[in-house]
Amino acid sequence: MEHELAPRIAAYVRRRLPHARDVEVFDVDRIHGGASRETYRFVLRYRDGTQTVERRLILRRDPPGSLIETDRANEFAAYRAFHGSSVPVPEALWLEDDPSHLDHPFFVMEELSGFDASPQNILMPPYAEHHEKLAQQKWSILGAIAQADPEKLGLVGILKPVALGECWRRELDYWNGVIDEDELAPQPIIRAAIRALRRNPPPAPSRLHVVHGDYRTGNFLYDKEGNVRGILDWEMAHLGDPLEDLAWSLNRVWCWARDGRVGGLVSKERAIRIWEEASGLRADPEALRWWELFSSVKGQAIWISSGREYQDGKNKDPVLALSGWWLMNAQDRAALESLGKLS
Amino acid sequence: MKPEIPKVLEILAGTFLFEIAPNVSPAYRKSSVGVSALLLGMVREEWDRAAARRVEENAALRALFRDASPDVTDTDLRRRLDEAAAGGDPSLLVSELERANDFLRAQLIELHAWVEAQPGPAARRIDDRIWRELAASTERRKLALAPF
Repeated sequence: MEHELAPRIAAYVRRRLPHARDVEVFDVDRIHGGASRETYRFVLRYRDGTQTVERRLILRRDPPGSLIETDRANEFAAYRAFHGSSVPVPEALWLEDDPSHLDHPFFVMEELSGFDASPQNILMPPYAEHHEKLAQQKWSILGAIAQADPEKLGLVGILKPVALGECWRRELDYWNGVIDEDELAPQPIIRAAIRALRRNPPPAPSRLHVVHGDYRTGNFLYDKEGNVRGILDWEMAHLGDPLEDLAWSLNRVWCWARDGRVGGLVSKERAIRIWEEASGLRADPEALRWWELFSSVKGQAIWISSGREYQDGKNKDPVLALSGWWLMNAQDRAALESLGKLS
Repeated sequence: MKPEIPKVLEILAGTFLFEIAPNVSPAYRKSSVGVSALLLGMVREEWDRAAARRVEENAALRALFRDASPDVTDTDLRRRLDEAAAGGDPSLLVSELERANDFLRAQLIELHAWVEAQPGPAARRIDDRIWRELAASTERRKLALAPF
């Protein structure tokens, strides 16, 4: 049975590609992908002159409620900026703010198909034997993101600028605000973490960097030979301190193997070394500790927010309830560990 | 209730995961059924301990407030801590225990913020005790499937 979105997507493509003939959209299938937008994969086929073009594409559509409220233009711009660089990303095609086409704003990008993204599958064969290679690529790519010049990438006018000394405060204020607004129960550990972060701010970065904002196992595509094939979910991309991304990638709640290996792949020290070599930057231990504790605040804000969305009935996706139940206590423990208070 | 609630939830989770999910399409709905099975597994784990862990924690928080109160020089905060410490759980209904827990943890946040701003060994002693209670609170809430 044809998906109700298929003819509407086809109509949109006809507007975007007026030269295309016999436009068909089929195999529309909603998938879990990213926390803040509805994600659909579909196949687009059309005739271009004498040639038949067929492409597997992804539609990312704003939902009524989501884990994170983000600006789709930022995500789209980040994909555009890094496409063709050493940071593998799908090609971003069309950004549409007008909700009349598909009920909500959306964007369309290429699907990188045939790869895995699961944080659980990466722990098992055939991927398990490639952990060192995957880690090398994962943190080298993050180093490349840190090394990139946002000005040259054309992102400075799109991603909101921030004074160097205010990078930490902007992020902390934002996520602190999310917790204030959405918490369903008092959070004594995260409140203490926030106070500790405000008492001891980190040094400013030497310049502004692109921060992916959600760089972790689960948000990149990998293949059976241990190659990272695509960096996804740029919905929280912003300008800031590159240690924010590094710390987020090291967050305890992504230790899926439950043995301390970050992202389920390698030791924390190894990941930091790879990142330092690739970025040419030094991860100052004190500053990194600040950003690691901040990661727990941000993580908790996201889990709190997801719980709120579900509880309020704005979004009935059970993954929102799961995030709250599965990760909130683990995130509290991660915060305690960063504070040296986990007995 | 017989069959026992944990057994019913365990069987339901297995049915969702291994019998229903593989036969559901599209992929998004299949994944949602799998996630729902995981949620049932967590409910099973939480069900048996739900009242016990709240009773234990509420008692621990009241004892902490009683211990801290003599060293709290902010009279308004001290009065509220004394009131909280003197209270008790209204019943063993989880919803009521949860409400009491929320109230006590909100008081704990206030006490912690106040203690952090105070100099001296008495404040440090209370601070240490609060951190120990916070660590214990995460032990009470641990889930078998959690990553940390």
